[in-house]
Amino acid sequence: MKTKTISKISVRQICFIMLAYTVVGKLLSYPTMLSYFCERDLLVPALIDFLIEGIIVWSIAFLCSRTDKTFFGLLEGTFGNVFARIIYGLFAVLFLFAVLLPICEQELYVHTIFYDTVPSLVVFMPFFVFAIYAGSKRFENIGRCADLCLPIFVITMFVIFIMSFGEAQWDNLLPILKTPADKIFFMAAGSIFRYVEPCWLLMFMGRFKYKKGDAAKITISYAAGAIIVLLFLATFYGIYGGLASSRTFAVSRTSLYFSAIETIGRVDLIMLYVLETVMVFALVLNVQLAVYCIAKCSGWDNRAVISLIVNVALAVVLITCGGFYNEIYKLYMNWLWIFFVIFTVLVPCLAWALKRRQR
Amino acid sequence: MKKKWNYTRASVVIYWLIFLVLLGLFFTNDFGLVDIHKTAIITAVGIDVAEEEVQVTAEVAVPQPSQNGENIKYALVQGSGITIADALNEINAKTGFFPKLQFCRLILMGESCREKELFGLLACFYRKDFSELTALVAACEGKASDMLALKSETSDMTSDAIRKILSDEIEKSANGTPMSLKDIAVTQYSKSAACYMPFVEVNEPGTSENGGNGDNVGGEGGNQGESQDGSGSSQGGSSGSQSGSQGGEGGGSGGGSGSQDKAMEFTARRTAIYSNGMFTGILDDQQSFALAAIRNNIRLAVLQCDTKDVHYTLGLKNVNCGVDLKVNAGAPELTLKFKAKARINGAKKRLVPEQIIFDDVVPEEVLSAAEAALEKRFNDLFDTLKEKDCDLVGIREQLYKYENKYFDAFKDDILSRMQIKYEIEVNSAN
Repeated sequence: MKTKTISKISVRQICFIMLAYTVVGKLLSYPTMLSYFCERDLLVPALIDFLIEGIIVWSIAFLCSRTDKTFFGLLEGTFGNVFARIIYGLFAVLFLFAVLLPICEQELYVHTIFYDTVPSLVVFMPFFVFAIYAGSKRFENIGRCADLCLPIFVITMFVIFIMSFGEAQWDNLLPILKTPADKIFFMAAGSIFRYVEPCWLLMFMGRFKYKKGDAAKITISYAAGAIIVLLFLATFYGIYGGLASSRTFAVSRTSLYFSAIETIGRVDLIMLYVLETVMVFALVLNVQLAVYCIAKCSGWDNRAVISLIVNVALAVVLITCGGFYNEIYKLYMNWLWIFFVIFTVLVPCLAWALKRRQR
Repeated sequence: MKKKWNYTRASVVIYWLIFLVLLGLFFTNDFGLVDIHKTAIITAVGIDVAEEEVQVTAEVAVPQPSQNGENIKYALVQGSGITIADALNEINAKTGFFPKLQFCRLILMGESCREKELFGLLACFYRKDFSELTALVAACEGKASDMLALKSETSDMTSDAIRKILSDEIEKSANGTPMSLKDIAVTQYSKSAACYMPFVEVNEPGTSENGGNGDNVGGEGGNQGESQDGSGSSQGGSSGSQSGSQGGEGGGSGGGSGSQDKAMEFTARRTAIYSNGMFTGILDDQQSFALAAIRNNIRLAVLQCDTKDVHYTLGLKNVNCGVDLKVNAGAPELTLKFKAKARINGAKKRLVPEQIIFDDVVPEEVLSAAEAALEKRFNDLFDTLKEKDCDLVGIREQLYKYENKYFDAFKDDILSRMQIKYEIEVNSAN
């Protein structure tokens, strides 16, 4: 008789995900939007989000030390199978929403930065081919991708920072806390859709063998990712000051003023091309988890077909709604943040209330 | 027996095939690769204003098929319209190049632009992804189109010759104040709301103005004014479209003046200044030096000073200059701190070889003269800035950052109200 084995991921790989994927999802439009709403205080809403989500990441990682069950197992053990399926269905929706806007951003980024002319949408379609393939894979694949991405991420970010630091005027961030509190909280709440890391960790629950100190390792990795993002935001605003809110795709803008670029051309683009691979893997992680949640919700384990359906749907949405990027962004900032707060903050906290042992 | 179809293996093959096809599309720009020989790249633009229209003159690099070196031809193409984007669209129609300015390295603003709000004119460059903001910006005397049509001895490409005088090295020696599109916007959209850019002038090669201390802007003028009428850049038709001219090999836009056939020299030692986007004047070379010392990182500057009977030229190293605004007892006080190490580069006296060894230690009286010369330059600069209420040094921005509680009280008249204290220290390099 065949026994079903749970696909595993290692703590090291989770740490890599918490470090690299946390960062790359916040380097395109996020700094621009923060600059637009909070100007010199752009670090504050980001810091608020990171602190809240960091505590939740730690709490989930710590929860993993108290149980070997998956999150689905915990839900099922407490509320029954149907309830667990419904929650996973909602998580699938969450992951799809979490990937939708970033895909639109990626498409605009690729078309704008990597092409001098206006390419057709077709050039972005290989992403979906890759996403269909990756979505059909299991958790081992997610871990291997993270192993692959971390060195790429470290090298590219290091080079981008080196090329950017020289131009930054750090005192552009002064004075601090002059932005009205409502704007800061609006931005902190409105950007929460970029902070789905606790949900990733919920999905990894029970799929790695917890050892003493793992919660600290995962939280420190997340904190390191947060520091890199905050440093990048400071650099970006330090370079552009009051102009920052007009510069989209921040990661491609900071290294432009490195002195060697004048002589040898846009060598920073090499780094951006390479970093793009990490961005793609980070995007695909949400697709993979959405497919996983749909599989759990429906009880149909043919992930290849689910992945195909999910990605075709995403591609259709991109083709039909991609031109309405600003409207989609407003939808996320004005309404969808409530859904994200529930699933990235409340649900992970409530996970502690679930039965961890069978009586 | 029929072999069973292996779905797993087939799906992998199908995936790879689709992936390769799409990768092919990706790298061939949907099979729409651009033949570089059939296009043109804008390397610089000159902007002039004629009544309500903007005339844009683009210096275009036209790659030529060639097997021996000289494979780029430079031409000038003009377009005009209500906005720069209109003009660029016309240029695009003439050159067949997609109207992005990714390769544009210089934007030259003609004298006629002075009447217009700077960022109203340049707004197009700041729109989403139209250009990277790395292009240098400079104002010029006369028409920008005429200046771009001039020939240079230092480069085939006129814009390249102008960029040479706006180089990093010039910036590090305080001999100029190069600014990029980003720089001018960052200072304009700060609390100071002022910006500056180098003022490019033309002079005849091999000439230099008499009577200066080496700070002369240049020699005989390049007849920019004269060339304006004969440049052939007349405006066409009521449609507002400029027929323009497509001179070859760096050649001019019609070229009627003699100066356009002759290679000229460019200098940019003076600085055009703007407050709230409006042109307010031109700083002379000594004020520009002072501004550069405050705003840029100077590595090695040359300073002239006079003692009782000898004129000295000093080289200043390790220059550290900045302004510090403090509000003491309700009164704003600006401290200008300048520190540098000096050595004697030249002196207007008879050379006595055995005394050169003593030049290593710069005499106290020379150092004092240098400090006095510097103070005069800074003082001149601040007087001009006060007079024109043009906050190029970033005083209001400092007030907002470091003395925020006084910002609302002082923001309107800080330049005239503040006391300036100079802490200038020039030491001997040895």
